[in-house]
Amino acid sequence: MVHPVPLSTSRNARLSRRSLVGRCARTAFGVTVLERLAGTIAVAEAAPQAGKAGVNIIFLTMRGAMTHIDTFDPKPGREEQGETKTVRTKTPGILFGEHLPKLAGVSDKLAVIRSMTTETGAHEQGTYLMRTSYPQIASIRHPAMGSWALHVSGKRSRDLPGYVLVGNGNEHPGCGFLDPAVTPVPVADPALGLENTVRPSYLSQTNFERRLALADRIDRDFKQTYKGQQVEAYNQMYKDAVRLLGSVDLEAFDIAREPEKLRERYGDSQFGQGCLLARRLVESGVRCVEVELGGWDMHRDIFEELPEKAGQLDMALSSLLGDLEDRGLLTSTLVVLGTEFGRSPQVNENAGRDHHPAVFSCVLAGAGVRGGVVHGASDAQGRSPDKDAVSVEDFNTTIAAACGLPYDREFQAPNGRPFKIGGGGTPIAAVLA
Amino acid sequence: MTQPPRTVMTLPKVDRDGRAAVSAAAARIDGLLVDHWREHDVKPAARLTDEQFVRRIFLELGGRIPSYDETVEFLASKDRRKRESLVDRMLESPDYVSHFYNFWADILRLQERPSKSLPFEPYLYYVKDAIRTNKPYDTWVHEMLTADGRIWENPAVGFQLRDEGMPLPYVDNTVRVFLGTQIGCAQCHDHPFDQWTQKQFYELAALTAGTRMRTGRGQMSAKGKELPGEGVRGLLADIRKQNGKKTAQLTRFVQANATAVSFADAPLKLPHDYQYDDAEPLSVVSPKVLWSDVPTTATTANGREKFAAWVVAHDNRQFARTIANRMWRKLMGVGLVEPVDDFREENPASFPALLEHLTDEILRLDFDLREFVRIVVSTDAYQRRAVAHDPTSAAPFRFTGPALRRMTAEQLWDSILTLVARNPWSVQRPTPEQIASAASLDLTKARVEDVERRCEEFMDAYGRGYMRHLQQICGYHGQLLVRASEIPAPLPLGHFLRQFGQSDREAIEGARQVATIPQILAMFNGPITHSMLERGSVIYDNVTSHKPEQAIDVVFLSVLSHRPSPEDRRFAFQEITTAENPATGCGNVIWSLLNTREFIFIQ
Repeated sequence: MVHPVPLSTSRNARLSRRSLVGRCARTAFGVTVLERLAGTIAVAEAAPQAGKAGVNIIFLTMRGAMTHIDTFDPKPGREEQGETKTVRTKTPGILFGEHLPKLAGVSDKLAVIRSMTTETGAHEQGTYLMRTSYPQIASIRHPAMGSWALHVSGKRSRDLPGYVLVGNGNEHPGCGFLDPAVTPVPVADPALGLENTVRPSYLSQTNFERRLALADRIDRDFKQTYKGQQVEAYNQMYKDAVRLLGSVDLEAFDIAREPEKLRERYGDSQFGQGCLLARRLVESGVRCVEVELGGWDMHRDIFEELPEKAGQLDMALSSLLGDLEDRGLLTSTLVVLGTEFGRSPQVNENAGRDHHPAVFSCVLAGAGVRGGVVHGASDAQGRSPDKDAVSVEDFNTTIAAACGLPYDREFQAPNGRPFKIGGGGTPIAAVLA
Repeated sequence: MTQPPRTVMTLPKVDRDGRAAVSAAAARIDGLLVDHWREHDVKPAARLTDEQFVRRIFLELGGRIPSYDETVEFLASKDRRKRESLVDRMLESPDYVSHFYNFWADILRLQERPSKSLPFEPYLYYVKDAIRTNKPYDTWVHEMLTADGRIWENPAVGFQLRDEGMPLPYVDNTVRVFLGTQIGCAQCHDHPFDQWTQKQFYELAALTAGTRMRTGRGQMSAKGKELPGEGVRGLLADIRKQNGKKTAQLTRFVQANATAVSFADAPLKLPHDYQYDDAEPLSVVSPKVLWSDVPTTATTANGREKFAAWVVAHDNRQFARTIANRMWRKLMGVGLVEPVDDFREENPASFPALLEHLTDEILRLDFDLREFVRIVVSTDAYQRRAVAHDPTSAAPFRFTGPALRRMTAEQLWDSILTLVARNPWSVQRPTPEQIASAASLDLTKARVEDVERRCEEFMDAYGRGYMRHLQQICGYHGQLLVRASEIPAPLPLGHFLRQFGQSDREAIEGARQVATIPQILAMFNGPITHSMLERGSVIYDNVTSHKPEQAIDVVFLSVLSHRPSPEDRRFAFQEITTAENPATGCGNVIWSLLNTREFIFIQ
């Protein structure tokens, strides 16, 4: 039996008053939300999952393919290790690359997966697969995990967006085939936050409203003629933008309000400050944040480039985990460190490492997962998984499970095909709390 | 100083006597489409009004909306052939070059500094100039695939240098862009569902394996890494010895001078982990093209010449087919094969007969892309209202009119510029000669002092100094008010153009037209919107120089390229007469029109 996706199923009771308010408001503003859902997205019946409706997710995307051997899966004593030394972690017997000393010190919070494996060695396709759990094809755009989470669990704040991307490029799949209402909001530069939120001094609230009303009137012919998805998405964004502008919560985007000492702790990098922004947003009621750290595509001179890049990651992620814990948010926030694939064990002629999809490492921490765990292993040279191979679908299904998202349920896309959150993988029991 | 004033470019004229031939060619396309519509029982969209036509032609051939004067002139013209005249004029305008440069920049990943060391301006200029002179497409591509020398001596080398140090991805990218075929997966393994094997990939790549990017090579290192030759090495050692603050910068400056493309056939080996039975790991592969043969004219030439000759050959129909499909999508919004770089047996054209006809046309025109554009925009199908189409819906697009599209970031930027700036051409990027005179060093004679002096001058003219200089000419609240094609790329993520989806120019065709909240906030409150509401903007001056009762018409014609309907006129009039004062009311109307879906979508 197939029936429309309810905006939430059995978890209404668990939702805070605030998110219910948000949901009603969204329905009222986004005139077509319910119609669209009813009309286009259906779901095959499935047993309700154990709910953890309050879980937030912070995705840290290492763009360009993070080398596994030099970070979370070193091979000391082997030629493949190259120039990167190792550092002992808090977890007995486990080593990290030398550029991750701070993370080594909090390894008891981390679940490191060393047996990730994928087929694609192309960045765009690999990143897409990591974000959506489905291969990139021309005929459909799949939703990113954050949009799924919003679709199922709803927003937490009435005015703030539910999903924010920090420093991401164009290729992010966003809401895919889901309703534009779960589209992520991109923030280009964490230091600047969300720009253009202040009206020019000469523009009164009244005039602003007059302008909007007039635009609406003049546009009615066009809107009547053209109702496609693209136009609808813009209609939705205009509504969301107006609501956001009237919000007192906007200061969630302003990291200048954080103490200087704390800002320094995250590191003086876009990524570090992006992680700080992520924490601030989650604290203010944004459910999902993704922060991108580019520049891992080290085909040349990898040992010269690593210290800075890995150093930024080390500082930012260790501070983020500490900060979340200090505020009691780590139990309700899952932090995901992902990348599209690994880098070749063999150092190439340009002193770099090339693309290596056969095995790579990813890390989970926080809500729903066990710390101090290393799951799976690569072989002696770091070339392929040696035990407990984990596919991208398994990894994303584990994320869904940790957040209480219904990974077993079939959702039907507008083209009639069924999809699952996480792509139908098997959650890794050893990693889940 | 950095740039002597340049006049805006001139283009060769289109052949006015060829109009009858263009109409006949357009009619042949329409004939096919009419049958197609009948077969699938669909009706064509309504014909474009003159108002819709002038807006679309300016946007689609010139990359911007028409100005108030241009719209009024077109609408007032009684010339029976005014549509043809407008098309011809647009195809001869600098706007055409600017717009198609943006189109190619997205495909070719055009950046000023893809690697820190090398100025790419000469290559960017070269691409623009190939569009300006309407260089036959096959000649243009052949030039890029075979060019030798330093970038400011022979700017066409930029195409090969864009993938410097990545010879395998270079082959993948080249085949994808020019032959619409994705062989990238085969770089690492045989894909079960793909027709290309890893061996085939390497055989093809073996043709260009002898491409070298550095001059003055002394020898190869044990690992096969190129080492700089005597002169360069000595100079670099001297720079390191001095160990000043600028070591990295000076090193890069020398490297830029030592970067030159050359070719001599060299063997290519299979990877060490080659896993199939048809060859041993690390064995040398013999060069081979993917399908058909190398043209007989090139059989004795070197590998790179063979590769290029094969790619662009008239007999290699896939080359013509790929560009025909690409240009069709550019104008009609949807390709006959989608994505345009994924031709496969399992991904057939939605209307194969039309695709083959368009391919024949490209060949008949000897790869004259501008003439091809002229023909497509002359079709009856093109001159119909846009049709909303969801690319992810299962229903194929039937071309009953062009697909409705949001303006590209560049179209939006250049359109707003049309409302704001009197001279959107106040800046043009440097020429190869300008870069050569600023960057060229004689490596056999140069000493560290020379490098320091030249590097300083160069940075002043085309590094940090260049941006400062541009800001002085056309800066407005930190933004450069010039055509998108003249702004250095990639822009930072927060720039208006990037917000609206301009590519980072890392991925092939990375531009997107996805809706986001920051876009709306920029339209509401951003400096660009407000630049047009200030005294001195084109629209402000146009409105204030007309009688108040004409103001509403001027605003509508300027922003939406049509006169208001009686109802809209009433709304606007009401707004102006009831606002705090008429000027505020007028500003409100302009702002409102800018924030309609009608403004950002191309009907």
